[in-house]
Amino acid sequence: MNAPAYNFAYLNEQTKRMIRRALLKAIAIPGYQVPFASREMPMPYGWGTGGVQVTAAVLVPEDRLKVIDQGADDTTNAVSIRKFFVRTAGVATTERTAEASVIQTRHRIPETPLAEHQILVFQVPIPEPLRFLEPRETETRTMHALEEYGVMHVKLYEDIAQYGEIATTYAYPAKVAGRYVFDPSPIPKFDNPKLDDCPALQLFGAGREKRIYAVPPYTRVKSLDFEDHPFEVQSWTEPCALCGSRDSFLDEIVMDDAGARMFVCSDTDFCARKRGEG
Amino acid sequence: MTEHGFSDVAVDSAHAFRAIMQAMARPGRVTDLAVRLDAPAPLLASTAAVALTLCDFQTPVWLTPALRSDRVMHYLRFHAGAPVTPEIESAQFVFATAEEVLPAPELLLQGTHEYPDRSATLILQVTGFAADGVRLSGPGIRGSEGFGVAGLDARFWTAMAANHACFPVGIDVIFTAPGQVAALPRSTEIRIPEAV
Repeated sequence: MNAPAYNFAYLNEQTKRMIRRALLKAIAIPGYQVPFASREMPMPYGWGTGGVQVTAAVLVPEDRLKVIDQGADDTTNAVSIRKFFVRTAGVATTERTAEASVIQTRHRIPETPLAEHQILVFQVPIPEPLRFLEPRETETRTMHALEEYGVMHVKLYEDIAQYGEIATTYAYPAKVAGRYVFDPSPIPKFDNPKLDDCPALQLFGAGREKRIYAVPPYTRVKSLDFEDHPFEVQSWTEPCALCGSRDSFLDEIVMDDAGARMFVCSDTDFCARKRGEG
Repeated sequence: MTEHGFSDVAVDSAHAFRAIMQAMARPGRVTDLAVRLDAPAPLLASTAAVALTLCDFQTPVWLTPALRSDRVMHYLRFHAGAPVTPEIESAQFVFATAEEVLPAPELLLQGTHEYPDRSATLILQVTGFAADGVRLSGPGIRGSEGFGVAGLDARFWTAMAANHACFPVGIDVIFTAPGQVAALPRSTEIRIPEAV
């Protein structure tokens, strides 16, 4: 029998220690982006290299891993990351949210409420919420240090002036534990309320941008808004065409060339269980 | 002869880290830390597990006099490759026992407002935990929770309350007891009852 081709969970131990130290700082300073020495992974940037490194650093052999991409377990990104950890860590996998101990996600939070023993790992493309308003890292770092977030409120105000409402619909900025404004990754703002007071530990990894941040359990996460324009989430006029749910996030699917459309749950596990298949 | 470290480095350190991380994510909650290794006295196996999980050649460590024995220093150098520094202000990890006079938290690396993560972690070896003592609240805690540590008096908690007041700069504490670990990150608010 040959020796295993990979170390447990792919990364070497020194890399894991470096990531683990960053994770502990991230948890101790909720919402602050901890720089880390992100490694090259056997997948391109943009495919969740940050999330994969965080997952690799927290996995234990007894874990049951769920991976979702935009709510679905069966899309390319989710399937390939799940296979990656089956091969390199030998962990069990599941598509059911309630059965998973670690969930890696791209751009959604599962509809099923999370529990204390669960860890949610987000893949993050741009961790800096101020980046499109201020391109210089030295400046955004100072802005975070001084808690100078006026420019973000100006941006949201300009939305209101132009569109009559806050037009940001995903990666909606929020303040963690009353201190750091953070980017919850490109989840729809529909998911922002789930970040708040969540029993599960939420970890965020940005591979290309080399940042790790966290929201500990039971932490206040307040989406930015104004008294006269309070934070609101998306709503739909029709229920999910498959399961009939009225309280889940729906994807719009174009059915034919004539413009027929169908709205279905983005969370495939939630939808399947609602239909009694799961 | 050197005491042996983790038998299966990847898996043992993964288990140890999960316990440490859950402890840091839920301040004041005592978490089991089952480890299979030997540690040179007076280092507890749980303290050694934290050291081998988090320390390496990139992290200078500082030891209090009780821990600064040749055997302990050799153990940390051999298994973790961690340099033992005589200067507390350059240490990323400071190891101490509750029986000693503790270094004042403000002597440790605090980080800066731009980089609050460039701060030290205090690994404090204690004999055990108690349900009552101070009341903790903040991120990771639902409402508030009681937390007590054997051998620590009001001076320690007052210093840690001052540490929290400096958030986001400051230090984080990992408590190690036989088979157990708990943590007190800088984000935790501490209420000290009159009678402690």
